[in-house]
Amino acid sequence: MEIIVNLDVMMAKRKISSNELAERVGITAANLSILKTGKARAIRFSTLMALCHELNCQPGDLLEFRDE
Amino acid sequence: MNWTKDRSIALSRACVVVFALLLAALDVSAVITAPPVERHTQMILMLVTISHTLWTVLVALCSLFAWPALWKLWRLLGNLQAGKVFTDDNVRLMRAVSWCCVGAGLVCLVCGCWYAPLFVLAAAAAFMALIVRIVKNVFQQAIAMKSELDLTV
Repeated sequence: MEIIVNLDVMMAKRKISSNELAERVGITAANLSILKTGKARAIRFSTLMALCHELNCQPGDLLEFRDE
Repeated sequence: MNWTKDRSIALSRACVVVFALLLAALDVSAVITAPPVERHTQMILMLVTISHTLWTVLVALCSLFAWPALWKLWRLLGNLQAGKVFTDDNVRLMRAVSWCCVGAGLVCLVCGCWYAPLFVLAAAAAFMALIVRIVKNVFQQAIAMKSELDLTV
């Protein structure tokens, strides 16, 4: 049972690089990497909101629940 | 033995309960049997009549624990000075200091069989160990919270 972050998929769809997205969202590239690699323990609403805004998507497009 | 955080806290809580029981027993015994003036005089006489051999053994054995404790406290302060506050190394150092206090307390406890006032010193050392141990538990919890916060994006 886990939450999967599909950020890399959405970034590929939008054709945006990590550095560019990090700069637009206002987080460090290191923190974006933590998010992309699934190491993050939590995500702030403000970060999620900024990601959805920049990637023009819904939170459900970025996060996925897997019951395994 | 691999001590988990929960086990460590459980041990600290058990120690607090033991001390609470000892304190309750002391309170009750102090009310029931207040020591007369002669007993005070005897205790004062005992304080100045510790044998040289016992004193030497006591200091030597306590030093075995006191020197490592001081060295670990020195390292702990060094870490704090370097801005490394909530680290696993500091928790290890505090745990070691706590066990050094326990060790010194046990030495005093055994030596107390030959020189009763050392029981007071043993209790003081054990109480100090408990305090250091609880501070260590606080640090452990803070490290867990910090790592959680570090991985919040």
